[in-house]
Amino acid sequence: MTEPLFVFHGIQKTFAKVEILRKVDLSLYPEKCTLITGKNGCGKTTLLKIIAGLEKPEKAEIEFSGKSHSWEKIMPDICKKIIYLHQQAFLFSTTVESNIAYGLRFNTMTREQRRKSVKKALELSGLTEFAKKQANTLSGGVQQRVAFARACILKPKVLLLDEPVSNMDRQSREHACHSMQFLKSTGTSIVITSHVPQYFDGLADMHFELVNGKLIET
Amino acid sequence: MEGLLSTIQQALQLLLYGDAELWAIVLLSFSVSIKAISLTTPLALLLAFSLAYGNYPGVRIILAFFNSLLSVPTVVVGLFLYVLLTRQGPFGDLRLLFTQSAMVIGQMILCFPILVALGYAAIQAADVRVWETARTLGAPRWHIILTIFYEVRYGLLAAVLTGFGRVISEVGISMMVGGNIMGYTRNITTAIALETSKGEFAQGIALGFVLLSLAFLLTALLSYIQSKNGGNT
Repeated sequence: MTEPLFVFHGIQKTFAKVEILRKVDLSLYPEKCTLITGKNGCGKTTLLKIIAGLEKPEKAEIEFSGKSHSWEKIMPDICKKIIYLHQQAFLFSTTVESNIAYGLRFNTMTREQRRKSVKKALELSGLTEFAKKQANTLSGGVQQRVAFARACILKPKVLLLDEPVSNMDRQSREHACHSMQFLKSTGTSIVITSHVPQYFDGLADMHFELVNGKLIET
Repeated sequence: MEGLLSTIQQALQLLLYGDAELWAIVLLSFSVSIKAISLTTPLALLLAFSLAYGNYPGVRIILAFFNSLLSVPTVVVGLFLYVLLTRQGPFGDLRLLFTQSAMVIGQMILCFPILVALGYAAIQAADVRVWETARTLGAPRWHIILTIFYEVRYGLLAAVLTGFGRVISEVGISMMVGGNIMGYTRNITTAIALETSKGEFAQGIALGFVLLSLAFLLTALLSYIQSKNGGNT
């Protein structure tokens, strides 16, 4: 197996005196998909948010570029390479086009390059017809696709998907899995949480179950 | 009854035929209040944001303090400012008493708690996913703040309009630190008070019409904003 992109060591998190993550270790490899399953409220979302830098753990170490760093110290640098997608997609109250372009504003692209990138992303995701529509007026499935396109356009090293297909019908689910497969093939490490592991049979390379705050490989 | 009708008729004539003195008063009122609200809004909204998203001790106490200032009488603010700006006061050397600047400062003090309290309520109601999504997409801190402000724009606009409604209609501060000087610090409310005390009601009623129209306009705008806000959440 190739070298991991990031290795998270000893992630600890407590909510209301209940330890929901107990020294969790997780390695994220390029071009690999990691599936995490577990009961409701077992800490899957919290784990993803800690990896994305959106939630602070009590303790965690991150091994990156051959060195070990504390979560607080390294997270401001590495969180730019990691994107987290909510279970229920959140889109800003602007057009689909503007939503997809959101993250591109913070890099060095020119306006013209940005416009071309957005156009290409809209075409690849089959969203061209929705480009000028208000994003939050669209159906749940289309919103999920917009959120996915908005993340993919930034070419993240790691994409964290929280229950990505839970609200989708079979056809949308297959389309989403196909997109994830494509993203994986471009070198992105994907982490998925789900109740239904069967949905990701052909996609997941590693499968863990979060039980009593520990990740158990299945 | 006849006298009242005749006064209203005179008031309407003053408004419709563009009485220069009356419209100068209206213009001055708007100029002072717009300056006050414009200068206060950025700082108040940033404080509201820091109260809503900052995880530091004393947030509740600060909020309680601003909430208690929401209904502070304008004459008390005027008195407080008068004591500070009077010749013998700590800021007497600035020679601000009986100037438009003093009126602006007073109105800023008046609308600051309104903007903080209502701004906080609007920002706090924002979906937590706004912050998380902006952050995970690589937005810098200042852009995350602007994104949150944009998402709750109707609530913030309602706060600004409420603040503007309060300052344009206040009389205590303008009277005490403005001094009601014709052509310089006389605004709508102080002019109404003066004209009424002189027994000349036409100009007072005309200015009253302006304030009432503004009140209706602000209420209509607020209702519209609230309906838009409801549709978005």
